[in-house]
Amino acid sequence: MLNPLKKDIVRINNLVVKYGENTILNDISTRFYSSEIRVILGTSGCGKTTLLKSIIGLLKPFSGTVYIENTEIKDQDDPETVKILKKIGVLFQNGALLGSMTVGENVALPLQMHTNLPDSIIKEIVQLKLAQVDLPNASELYPGELSGGMKKRAALARALALDPPLLFCDEPSAGLDPVTSAGLDELLLKIRKTLGITIIVVTHELLSIEKIADNITFLSKGALLFDGPLKDALALEKGPIVDFFKRHEPKNKFHLSNTTDFFVENIK
Amino acid sequence: MVSISQKIITIPPVLDRNWVEQSNSLLCERNRNLILDLSKTVRIDSAGLCFIKLLNLQCKNSGKKLILRNISSDHLNLLKTCNFPFQDKESPDSFKNSFFVSTGDTFIKFMNNSVHALSVLTEMLYWGTFGLLKKQDFKRGALGEQMYQLGYKAFGIVTLLSFLIGIVLSLQSAMQLRNFGAGIFLAPLIGITMVREMGPLLTAIILAGRTGSATTAEIATMGVGEELDALQTMGINPIQFAVVPKFWAISITMPILSILATAAGILGGFFVAIFYLDLSSSIFWGELSKHLHLRDLNAGFIKSVVFSWLIIWIGSYYGLRVRGGAEAVGRETTASVVTGIFIIILADAIFSFIL
Repeated sequence: MLNPLKKDIVRINNLVVKYGENTILNDISTRFYSSEIRVILGTSGCGKTTLLKSIIGLLKPFSGTVYIENTEIKDQDDPETVKILKKIGVLFQNGALLGSMTVGENVALPLQMHTNLPDSIIKEIVQLKLAQVDLPNASELYPGELSGGMKKRAALARALALDPPLLFCDEPSAGLDPVTSAGLDELLLKIRKTLGITIIVVTHELLSIEKIADNITFLSKGALLFDGPLKDALALEKGPIVDFFKRHEPKNKFHLSNTTDFFVENIK
Repeated sequence: MVSISQKIITIPPVLDRNWVEQSNSLLCERNRNLILDLSKTVRIDSAGLCFIKLLNLQCKNSGKKLILRNISSDHLNLLKTCNFPFQDKESPDSFKNSFFVSTGDTFIKFMNNSVHALSVLTEMLYWGTFGLLKKQDFKRGALGEQMYQLGYKAFGIVTLLSFLIGIVLSLQSAMQLRNFGAGIFLAPLIGITMVREMGPLLTAIILAGRTGSATTAEIATMGVGEELDALQTMGINPIQFAVVPKFWAISITMPILSILATAAGILGGFFVAIFYLDLSSSIFWGELSKHLHLRDLNAGFIKSVVFSWLIIWIGSYYGLRVRGGAEAVGRETTASVVTGIFIIILADAIFSFIL
């Protein structure tokens, strides 16, 4: 289903992730292309966030490899890995802004750490990034003083500070109202259009998937079920993916046992 | 077969938690078959369902029968939903309480904690020294800011407390010494005590309360809010960013604070000598310099440096191991201060033997 001719930016080979005895991800292999918006989806607890965390090196896989731009993601202290980490932006579910620094300082942080730019330029970049996410006046505020949607957008500005070719978003619309979350989707599309970057989104919001996704990666119970264009997935006729998009009720919701343990006299 | 007597209980129209609360004693009925008459019952809540389920289980375990009479089919279906196979995952009591199991468990937990603590220590020392050649992942001005927070802001309380302790210690000693006409020995007594013991120890205990708790709370909050993960994904080493500036700040300011605390303590002793023992100031300072040797000063200095590392190590270890939310942050902060003070006093005792 994947197109072998397209240039890829992320390659995942036979990834297995375990928490203790539990296997969370079982033998995942896939590729993410340049300049696409890829949505990783699936029901709760299927391993979406775990997949994301293993790609960016926060979780050590049990076996298998992850390559970003042909560099293997290893230990966080490995210099090659650090070089790659500077090329990716990550938007965490709750923003993960540093609470003791203002929004402006948060956005400036990766620039101060990884570049030798003069302060005046950094200040300009911060203003530019904050304007790109529609937060032009938030630079002096602390993250605690922002609303949920503003926090996400500020975190997006920080993730974009180094102009990464690759952006990961963990449930960008979680806990946001429909209007704000639609605004965030628009923003992602706008960023892709203007900056041409690859965006990988973990979500289970149907509306936002249908709006933004080029390709989808569908996970179910830790296994890869579908990997390919969204329209192919929507054209399927049955199976868990159709259940997901058509919002079918799960089968066997309650385990009604037929053999009852109770002694009953005279059912009304 | 022995005939077993029966007991019929008529369940009220509403079988809810109020009724269960009152009738919990039924669960202890052991000797007879129970018949629950549900003819009047129109509503059952979760407590009621689980009550019937437990009753059924107990009756079965003791070889009796629970009979549900006149139950409606809806209620029976409800009961079936809670008829899932339920297994207590805990191991049997005899095994769980076994001496060997609990000892082994404790030992493994202890070893895991020790390994974690040592890895925090090595990471802190590595990234604070050799790692700095590889990368410098801290904010500009972080060291100065930390020195101001950890050192300068603690200056007042540290010197004031040492001064007061100096007065108290010398007063107590002076009373005894005067009885023997040996008041002149107050100078070396308070001098050596302050330089070798009380100066570094008092400073360390105050900083363990101030800095140790602040370090734990700060790092723990960062961990809970995924801030440490976010730093990692930005290619910033979290240890260097959050711990190393504090490590250097406390390593530099703690000896200075110790010296000031010692001086304040000796000053307290000096006032007691002047006003209580009527010694002259030249005798006090003369006696002090005669009996105070370089190795006393060295001992005090080494202690203060080692204590500062202990404080920051324990503070960051407890901060980094937090799992959970706000409650865990509070718990680990408390544990950090208690352990910090304990370890410092323990280390002080060990130093008394070797220095």
